[in-house]
This record gives sequence, C-alpha cells and structure tokens, in this order.
Amino acid sequence: MGEAIVRGSGSDKSSESGPLIALRGVSRVYDGGTIAALRNIDLQIAAGDCLAIVGASGSGKSSLVNLLCGIDHASAGTVLWEGRALRTQRAWARLRRLDIGIVFQEFNLIPTLTALENVEVALFGRGLSAARRLARAGVVLDRVGLEHRMHSLVTTLSGGERQRVAIARAIVNRPKLLLADEPTGNLDSASAAIIADLMFRLREDAGMTLILVTHDDALAARCPRRVRIKDGVIVEDTREPMAPRLIETTPRQAASPRAAPPQAAPPQAAP
Amino acid sequence: MNLVGLALRNLRRRPVRTGLSILGIGLAVGSALALIALSRSIQDSSREAINELGDDFVVTQKGASDIFGGFIPESTIARVAAIPGVARVSGELFMFAPSADQRSVLTLGWPDTSYLWSKVPLREGRLPGPGERHVAVLGDTAAASLGKKLDDELELVGETFRIVGISNYATVINRGLVLVPLIDLQEASYRMRQVTVIHVNVERGGVQLGRVRMEIEALGNVTAATADEMLKNDRNLAILDAVSLAISIIAVAMGALSVLSALVMATQERTREIGIFAAIGWSNARIMVSIVLEGMLMCAIGCVTGVLLSFLAAFAFPHIPAIGNLISFKPSLALIAPVLGAACALCLIGSLLPAWRAIRMVPAEALRRL
Repeated sequence: MGEAIVRGSGSDKSSESGPLIALRGVSRVYDGGTIAALRNIDLQIAAGDCLAIVGASGSGKSSLVNLLCGIDHASAGTVLWEGRALRTQRAWARLRRLDIGIVFQEFNLIPTLTALENVEVALFGRGLSAARRLARAGVVLDRVGLEHRMHSLVTTLSGGERQRVAIARAIVNRPKLLLADEPTGNLDSASAAIIADLMFRLREDAGMTLILVTHDDALAARCPRRVRIKDGVIVEDTREPMAPRLIETTPRQAASPRAAPPQAAPPQAAP
Repeated sequence: MNLVGLALRNLRRRPVRTGLSILGIGLAVGSALALIALSRSIQDSSREAINELGDDFVVTQKGASDIFGGFIPESTIARVAAIPGVARVSGELFMFAPSADQRSVLTLGWPDTSYLWSKVPLREGRLPGPGERHVAVLGDTAAASLGKKLDDELELVGETFRIVGISNYATVINRGLVLVPLIDLQEASYRMRQVTVIHVNVERGGVQLGRVRMEIEALGNVTAATADEMLKNDRNLAILDAVSLAISIIAVAMGALSVLSALVMATQERTREIGIFAAIGWSNARIMVSIVLEGMLMCAIGCVTGVLLSFLAAFAFPHIPAIGNLISFKPSLALIAPVLGAACALCLIGSLLPAWRAIRMVPAEALRRL
C-alpha cells in the first residue's frame, strides 16, 4: 500500500503552490439534517492530481463530487477554488463553463441533439462564433474517436459512444479539472475499459486534474491517489506510485513531467 | 447553432410533444376566438340586419322591455312623418310566425306603400302589388330552409300566402326573413292598426338628428333610437349579452388553462435538461432565454393554428343550417389581436414559471429528475 492514512491532508504539490480545489469542514445533510451524506470533510486537490474517490454505494461519493463542481451546495463548510471561496451559483456556473468538465454515469446528454451539437452547447457563452464552436467540437469528437458518428443523434449511439460524447463535452473547454462520476458504471466491461483508457490518456495529454468517482477498485487503482469514503467521512487518503496498467496504456505519460506522480513509477513497470 | 436553432431542433426532434403542445395551444386559441366571436354574433347580426335596412332611427314603444314587446298605434306613423326633417317613415309589425311544419320564421309586415319594399334586393320574382293580399317575399335562406320556391304556398299563423318573390339580402337575419303585407300580418296576429316599430329616415343636409329625435319622442309614449341604442336597451339582447359574456369568460379561462398547461408540462418535463445545461456552465439567463424561446416558438405556431381553426369554423358554421340561418360568425381582426396577445402572455408565463423553478434548484437536484 501507499502512504499512511492522512485525513484531510493535501498533496505535496498543494502545499507548495496552493491546491486547485479544497474542501474545508464541508458537510452535506438532507431532509433537515436527518440524513448526513458528508460530515466535516477536509480535502485538498492539487493541480495535475489524479485522484480516485472510492467507497460503497451510499457512502457519499457522489455528494462529494457534486460539491466539488458546485452542482450542489454544502450545508456547512467552504469549498475553495484556487484559494477563493465560491459562494454563488453564478460563480460556480462560470467555473463549470471555463474550468471544470463533468462526466456523469448517466451521460446526461441532450437527447434531441446530435453528438456534435451536444459538445457544441458546452461552448456557448465563450464568445466563439458558431463556426469556431463547431470546428472545436468536431476536433474533440475526433479526439475521442467519434468522428464518424458526430452527426448522429445521441439516442442512436451505444452506451460507450454516448459516454465518449460526454467526455468530449467535458473536455471541449480545456478544463483544469475533469470530474468523472462513475463514468463506466453503465457500460459493459469492454466499453468501460475503452472509456477508462480514453480518460486517462486525455488527462495525460492535457495535463488536467482528474477526479474519478468509482466503486471499482481496479479502476481506482489506476489513479495514484485514492480517497476512500465511508458513511460520509474520509477514512483513507492514499498516495502511491502509478499503477502498472496505466503506464502500459498511456506510454506518453512517462515523458510528461506534468503528469508524473510525486513518486517515481516502479522500474519494472516502465515501458 | 444558436439559441433559436437549439429551440427549433428541440421542437423538431420531439414531434409528438411539440405537436401535442402546439395542438393544445391552437385549440385553446381557436376555441376562445370561436366562442367569443359566436357570443358577439347575436348582437352583431341584429345590428347588421337593422343597418341593412338603412334607418336613421327606429321608433319603439316607450318602456318596452324588448323589440318584440312593444306596440305602437298605426296612427303614430303619420304623426312622425309630419315632423319637419323626416324624409320617410314606414311602420313594421314583426313576429316569429309559426309555419305549417311548426317552425317559426321571423316575419315582417310592411304597408304596401312602404319605401322599404323598394329597397328589397330581389333575386327572383316580384314585389307585392298595391293592395295585393296574402303574398310573401322570402329571404333566400328562409326559402331554402322551408323548402319553398316561387309560386309555392306558405302557411303562416294559420293563413296561406303565395310566394311571389325571393330576396337576397346580405345579412344573415334578413336572409331568413319572410316579408308580407302589413294588413295580413295584423289580421293574422290580432294586432289590427298596430305596428311594432316605425322606421325613420331623416332628410340629408343640415337636419339636426337630435332635434328630430326629440320631436318624435315629444309625440308621447315612444322612443326614437339608433340601431345600436335600441339593441343596447333590448332586454332580450341584454340577457343574451350576459350569456355571451359568461361564455366568453369560460372560453378565455379554458383557453388560458390549456395554454398554461401545455407550456408548463412542456417545460416541466425538461427539468433534467435544465439541470444538464446548468451542469455544463450555462448561466441562468441563458437557460431562461432558451426555454422561453422554445415556448414562444410553440406559442407562435399554436396561435397561427388557432386562428386558422377559428376561420375554418367561420367557414363551416354558415353551412350548418341550425347556426348559419340565424347568426353570422366572423372572427374579426379586432378580436384576434387581444386573444393572441393574451395567448402570448400566457405562453410567456407558462414557460417562465417552470423554468424559473428549475433554475432555482441546485443542478444536482434537477439532474435527479426523470
């Protein structure tokens, strides 16, 4: 295993340059406080981190990720983005438009739009012309291997293809943070492997921070940092060298200093 | 793609939802227009019929509760004619006269010397000659509905009349008239030397209508009024107006509810989509504009559909004898504008309210909606 359990600790990087996103004493309760989804969470995530949030169903993983991207609000505590507290939905919306990409388990695509249009709508409000939006959306769909289906309605796509559209939509704004909430949860094992590889590869190429919520330990093992949640509390925050499979499937990662984990990869796993 | 393009795609690619919503709005607008127009048509038809005869004044018995309820001595006709400035007068007795098959037809009796005979637009046949008795001129729809033609016999109030002419007036009520000599109708109805109204035409050029009117009323026990005033004071029409108003209110309320329901349902089921737009960083303003645009596009198409439906009804109703023989039905531009204005306002509210509720939710909650 990796380092000792340090609840509420941040990475080395975050202590040097300040975390990209941080939770301070964050709680989330429902039904007037009778249900506590998250309790007094402290968490710091540095720019470039690759983090898996793991835990059993109902442990609070999705609540945590909802707070990290501002699509839900904390009942107590503060969420900081690059050291600044974000207090309004407007500020969060702007952040999601510019710096945060989200991939959902349920895809959450607009069913009446094509793959290309679904990606294009994420570029609205960026001051780009329609032609530039379409061009950029096309490039990203090409990047996720869907150039041949970009004009298809998303309802005609397979689960794996839909999730690739969702990933394209999430990364089209070149976000600093990519949040994926059970991105392979609705996919068969073959599609899940493709989607997982795609996300890690994109993350490596773009150097973005990746937060992956999963109950799949094998998938989580591909992230150098793992945060385990149980009953709304972080019970484990582990950092360890990059898992061998990640190195195998992402050969460029070794050459990318930005993507290198704090600890060196094991020599036997190097390409 | 811009927001309008997005709205159009959403509408086009959900044909069932879009079609049903537009149909809902169209039916609401169309039925509101049709019902309001119908409710107004009773008074409009009466006004048009009187105006077609070209009167300046209609003299009725003072205090008569309705146009059928008053009677004036025939001798008053000559007294009105003697007033300076009065060009011509004609007495008229009218009643709903039962025919042989128990159908009542609006029957007018005019003196054989009345100027009104000369204004009858004849389609075929002739007018009654001086002193000719028991002859009738039928309006074209009256002839059609009674199944009569020239030289046929028509039984009215137990008397037999020979049809000598068919008229073709322009207004619905006048097209359903039966015209007979005054004396025949007076005898048949036991109203000897009585008339219901006196039609008055005033000389043109410099004659003060107000003075003539005052002098007519000074004769005692009569009221001189324009067609509009007479209809306004008619108790039967006042009751019909009250019924019409109630129908209009119900029509507008039903239409409003239908429009609101169509739009609220269409927007409400998009709560999850609103959550998706919020999750990808759309501002609340952009989401609202997108939803309202879609609602207003449906509203516009629905309004056009509704107006077309109401005109379709206007085209169809005259061909239904039970309606077309009695009242005219014309949805006017003056009526369409406020109905469409109200529909647009309701569509705006119907789009804004659920969208506003959705954007007030945190996106995570909106995304949980089915």
